[in-house]
Amino acid sequence: MKTAVKATITALLLAAFGGAAYYSFRGTSALPGSAGGLLSSVQAVELSGLISLDVEPYFKDPRVIKLLADNKLSVSATRIGSRDMAAKVVPGQVPDFFFPSGVVAANQIGDAAKNAKVSATVYSPFYTPMVIASWTPIAQVLAANGIAKEMSPKVWNVDFAKLTQTMLDKKRWKDLKESQAYPVSKSVLVSTTDVRKSNSAAMYLALSSFAINGGDIVTDKTTAQKTALRVSELFKRQGYQENYVNGNFDDYATIGMGKTPMAFIYENQMVSYALLKKGVGADMVLLYPQPTIFNKVVFVATSERAKALGELLSSNTELQRIAVDYGFRIGDSAYFAQTVKATGLAIEERITQVIDPPSFDTMAEMIEIISREMGQ
Amino acid sequence: MKNTILQLPQRAFTGLLAALIVTLLGACGDKATTTQVVSPAQTSAAVSGDVFQVLATSDLRDAQPLEQMVEKATGIKLRFRYGGTMESTEAVQNGKAEADAAWFANAKYLLSDPQGQARVKLQEKIMLSPIVVGVSESQAVQLGWDKPEVAAKITWKTIAQAAKDGQLKYALSNPATSNQGFMALMGVAAAASQKAEALTAQDVDRAAISGFIKGYKLPGDNSTYLSEKFIEQQGPRLNAFINYESWLLSLNQSGKLKEKLRLIYPLEGVATADYPLMLLSDSKRDAYTKIVAYLKGDEAQTWLSKTTLRRAVNPDVAKAQAALFPANSMLIELPFSPDRALADGLIDAYLNEFRQPIASTFVLDVSGSMNGGNRRQQLVQALQYIAGDDASLTGRIARLTSREKIWMLPFSEVPYPSTYFEVPAGKPSAKGVQVQTDTAAKQAVLDKVRDYAEGLNMNGGTALYDAVLQALQNMSAERKKNPAYQYSVVAFTDGENNKGRGLAEFKTAYAALPEDVKAVPVFMVLFGEANEKDLKDLVATTGGRIFDARKASLYSVFKDIRAFQ
Repeated sequence: MKTAVKATITALLLAAFGGAAYYSFRGTSALPGSAGGLLSSVQAVELSGLISLDVEPYFKDPRVIKLLADNKLSVSATRIGSRDMAAKVVPGQVPDFFFPSGVVAANQIGDAAKNAKVSATVYSPFYTPMVIASWTPIAQVLAANGIAKEMSPKVWNVDFAKLTQTMLDKKRWKDLKESQAYPVSKSVLVSTTDVRKSNSAAMYLALSSFAINGGDIVTDKTTAQKTALRVSELFKRQGYQENYVNGNFDDYATIGMGKTPMAFIYENQMVSYALLKKGVGADMVLLYPQPTIFNKVVFVATSERAKALGELLSSNTELQRIAVDYGFRIGDSAYFAQTVKATGLAIEERITQVIDPPSFDTMAEMIEIISREMGQ
Repeated sequence: MKNTILQLPQRAFTGLLAALIVTLLGACGDKATTTQVVSPAQTSAAVSGDVFQVLATSDLRDAQPLEQMVEKATGIKLRFRYGGTMESTEAVQNGKAEADAAWFANAKYLLSDPQGQARVKLQEKIMLSPIVVGVSESQAVQLGWDKPEVAAKITWKTIAQAAKDGQLKYALSNPATSNQGFMALMGVAAAASQKAEALTAQDVDRAAISGFIKGYKLPGDNSTYLSEKFIEQQGPRLNAFINYESWLLSLNQSGKLKEKLRLIYPLEGVATADYPLMLLSDSKRDAYTKIVAYLKGDEAQTWLSKTTLRRAVNPDVAKAQAALFPANSMLIELPFSPDRALADGLIDAYLNEFRQPIASTFVLDVSGSMNGGNRRQQLVQALQYIAGDDASLTGRIARLTSREKIWMLPFSEVPYPSTYFEVPAGKPSAKGVQVQTDTAAKQAVLDKVRDYAEGLNMNGGTALYDAVLQALQNMSAERKKNPAYQYSVVAFTDGENNKGRGLAEFKTAYAALPEDVKAVPVFMVLFGEANEKDLKDLVATTGGRIFDARKASLYSVFKDIRAFQ
């Protein structure tokens, strides 16, 4: 494998999963109020930042703008692809902050910052679990086959190991028991974005590898190689995959069950959709994989001034609550649950079955193998 | 660190679909004009600061009123520029779109390619239209397809069988250059293979494809052209039209059809165009965001649904306007395979093995005026190009295909004797499809065509109408002998007719030809000082189309013509 590609995978994975990822960053030692105090004597500072699609509406929210202004901060944010952000870490021209859609891109930025000798401070103000957006008839077919279970009205758990096995067995929907509602000869497959470039798909790899490895996190190289070959089928057999952040969710929400019976997404994609539309389609439901994995939204401050913003986003109750309006979970889980319930979208309030992803080296190994398989 | 993560797909997708991108994207056609002058690679004013320029495929011409709607709602001067599918895609890929955004029916191919992907900064799907089969009501009744319980079970395999049995005779845009045509072939291949997921080249059931192609009676590269011809020819000889739902619903509403079309949504075989609006200019993000917000809002989505009959992506509007569209049960999407060998193999096999082979007479102006301004050189190059060895997909579509017959008919003072070339058939693969390399026999014929072009001498006057008439007589006579070919006349002139028959006499003589000459279209190339008005009149008489080579290179125009043959 070429060095550049190796480096890419390294960047992709640097702690993509779990706390270890943060090692490349400086510590998050900003003291509450310290930056604010520093700034209090001057006019509101304009901070420039690069943000992802996911957080753009948040920054454009007049309530956020006002709250920031009250704290003597004003933000000029530009939306770009999370993957393009690391390239913007150019000494002398670095924006004040980055707010990418996931930990993977955040780590890539951190890595670039380290190389460019730019100090970077990381905050994780919100998070969202990985879920499967699906449809009631589909959930019922899965339930009839012992793969899913309705825990409370419209909240489904899916046994991820069984689902994975069904997919690896190349079952078609119409092969399943009681599949009259979806008598289709397509294979049972969860649609994802492209694992070679997308954070959410890497999360899918982490979950699938856990299932294939008998409910254990993959730790050694031999197992990683064997597991990755099996997981690669689950990506390859999907055929064409949308390669932008909302791609598979767009297909799910706009084209529907005929194209996308199951889409692996961030929960906040569905929640923000429900909040925006004041509800969801009658048959739209969320399946919570057992176990699942969390995606933390990471704010990277690359200037002293931006640390105040990172701190505020993490600690200000109102700013936190506004993030809920965009589908994210915050420390105050009751507030999140209550807000989402109002839309009619049923969510699992307490997610207990959560795993950590495999180590950095193991993920790199697996993505390398899958990339090779998909390139064939 | 630039684009680090993108290096992964680059590696994995090396070479993937680069050529395909060019050809498969998007729809063809435009609803606005009747006799359309094609000028590929047209470039209007460069992108100026206060205009938001969008390069759109011509099937989006019916959405042009959005310019005013967007301006009124957002203050942004949105302007569409329309281009041919191939040129537009190529332009985006090469960074030469000269537009702030691109709007295509389908961008899967563009976005499967790292280079294309890097050009697209943001994208949003704006509306939806599935590719479906419209069948003349009376034929639908005869096939029993008017019964909902029967219609619900029709697959692409059923459709291919009906075509093979001579019961379905359809119009379709070129599978080698259009999304609709290609997806129809993929639909047949997928249904016949019975496979649950993405196909490979080896899985293609050759008999099913060849059966399906038996019903392919009206080719073209543009839905406007196909619609005009369909309206003229609908009847026992042409009873179906495969196209976007929006196009077929519009035709049904137009009142121009002899009988309405019944829309068949192939079971587990619907391919939906999702019309992504793709931002190309980073500096126009804010304007783009505002435009997208408006286009996905209630007003624009309702207008698009009602006026263009494309389905809304905005769920509220989709629900409110559901009555505009046939009430279907769930539409199961055809899985799209990004396998290059499959796509290339299918197109290659379509062109060289499955399609009705092409027989055409090239009417070539060799008058004295062709010596000036590099004109002879352009003509020779264009002819050598179609007989060349350009292995890119655009090149492959343009070049002479296996089994093709071609007569070169030069003229100046008078029409001169024609020279005949026939490209031999290749050896089809036993199983599946794959790109065939040229046989020595094929190479030899292509060499001869190139030599012929090099030997053209230019002098004398311009007896265009006599030459076209002679070509039509020739094609008509050949067609009687061997009806299994797709006949046409390609005529090329750089000046006004000044010898032999005039236009009026030509029309009289044409009227006296046997009726079946009407099956032979004339593709007329405008060049130099050719008289546009008279030539439009000529194709209005003979059927066919005008192609404008005064602004575009002659070989790119020849490339366009090949998609109509």
